[in-house]
Amino acid sequence: MAGETAAPFLDVVGLTIRFGGLTAVGGLDMEVAKGSIHALIGPNGAGKSTTFNCISRFYTPSEGRITYDGRDITRMPAREMAGLGIARSFQNLELFAELTVFENVLIGAHVHAGRSWRDAISARPRGIVEHVEHLLERTGLSAYAQTKARNLDFGHQKMVEIARALAIRPRLLLLDEPAAGLRNREIAALDRLLCELRERDGITILLVEHVMQLVMSISDRITVLSFGTKIAEGTAAEVRAHPAVIEAYLGRETTQETPHG
Amino acid sequence: MSSSPLASATSGKRVLSGPAIAGLALAALLAVALPAFTTGYVIYIANLLLVFVVLCLGLHVVIGENGQFSMAHAAFYGIGIYASALANRAVDLPYPFAMLFGALVAGIVGLFIGALALRMRDIYLALATFAFGEAMQWVFANWDSVTNGPNGLRISPARFGPLEILSDKQAYPFVLFFCLLMIGVTVAISRSRLGRSFRAVRESEVAAMAMGIDVRRTRVVAFGLSAAIAGFAGGMFGLFQTFIHPDSLGFQTTILVLTMVVVGGLGSIAGAIGGAIVFGLISEVLRQAPQYQEIIYGGILILFMMYAPRGLFVFIGDRIREVRHGR
Repeated sequence: MAGETAAPFLDVVGLTIRFGGLTAVGGLDMEVAKGSIHALIGPNGAGKSTTFNCISRFYTPSEGRITYDGRDITRMPAREMAGLGIARSFQNLELFAELTVFENVLIGAHVHAGRSWRDAISARPRGIVEHVEHLLERTGLSAYAQTKARNLDFGHQKMVEIARALAIRPRLLLLDEPAAGLRNREIAALDRLLCELRERDGITILLVEHVMQLVMSISDRITVLSFGTKIAEGTAAEVRAHPAVIEAYLGRETTQETPHG
Repeated sequence: MSSSPLASATSGKRVLSGPAIAGLALAALLAVALPAFTTGYVIYIANLLLVFVVLCLGLHVVIGENGQFSMAHAAFYGIGIYASALANRAVDLPYPFAMLFGALVAGIVGLFIGALALRMRDIYLALATFAFGEAMQWVFANWDSVTNGPNGLRISPARFGPLEILSDKQAYPFVLFFCLLMIGVTVAISRSRLGRSFRAVRESEVAAMAMGIDVRRTRVVAFGLSAAIAGFAGGMFGLFQTFIHPDSLGFQTTILVLTMVVVGGLGSIAGAIGGAIVFGLISEVLRQAPQYQEIIYGGILILFMMYAPRGLFVFIGDRIREVRHGR
């Protein structure tokens, strides 16, 4: 399926991030194919979120290059990402807490709301309001449109993060642990939504995630990080069977022999 | 009747809520009819309150919408007063041009202060803007060749073509008109894409950035607009006042305006307007008992902060809801 010779949609080459003397990520290469769901997994402290924040341009890498759709974005400011069609969510929720769900998602469409002077001064810019309502429907938030984001339960708040990111009309959607803290029913709904975004909307999705149930079910490709380096890459089945992955997650068999206190 | 109980319990708080609109309409009616049945002094107070409403709208833009502290609004107001008075004296144009000039000068100064504010926030920003306010008061009091220094500046009467405004009663319709105009402008800003970006930056700078909002520019623009509105209030002051003295442009005025905005209800336009009127009246009434003025004022403020910390309007709204639900 993925045998095309075309350049990858998102291409990470030799990504290295150092904080002082600590190398959080060392020389990571990763290719994300257009229209795929690509997961970045690994034990705590593996450098997943650091990598994620580099791609979304909240961190600047010490070395390496990030290319998106043929364009070098390594040094571009974070605020220009939305205009390029790159949207992100936040692991620890960065909602506009005192604003309504509707307004949260409407602000997501910020880069589209200023096409004309009339749109820019309008409280309900044409075309955009309809899109926001459509997104609220798809994410199951219609009933909460006029609720302040801070008054929602955690599961719905996570959905607002995604709906707001979708208002950017992204071509690349970066999700930082979207399933963390969700209940099974909510994870199932997220699973459906992400697959639909890939199939129907053609959105490329890169997610950092710990919830294996979701990762294994939806990912076309999985990159496994451990201590800042890539230890495995492939489909769900390939990664699950990879000895280095088993070792990183479960520990080497010899470690079980180490004496305990 | 909303479908979800959760939604109906927490919804409906747009820019102005229902009761607030009704209250404003009633107030507007009274305001228009006012000159028919009152004396000059009452009209003078009404003019002053309307100016304070606009000054509060200015502070609301930067604190309420954008979440940035400013302790310099008496200075922006003063810049507006002096700039429009001097422009009115210098050129023979209808007074609104002088008002616009006052707003423009204050707005430009505000942009510079906003650029400064990029380097600091919270208590540091409060202190820095406070220092700027004090410095401006010193400038007003000592730049003799321009402001006439500590003797104060005489403001020549405002003119609208052949009409020269010589009394408070004459000025009142104009003051009311410009006040309503500025309420409209502030509501329009708040509802626009720019207003949404102000609030986005207030709520989460990183999320705003991810949505493509230029956080730095947004913060500078909020300061500039806020200062321009305060400067416009200064121009309105010149519609009915004949004299300005630097003493009235100090820290006390800044605190008064800050109190109005916070006690009215931080983040709501109706709150800023209501706070300006209620606290403007209180401070005017207390002027009758100058020896107790400060202590009574302080006491009222403490009571408000204890029992209505989210502002006058939220407090009244909650009481109305309680009565309706028969508690």
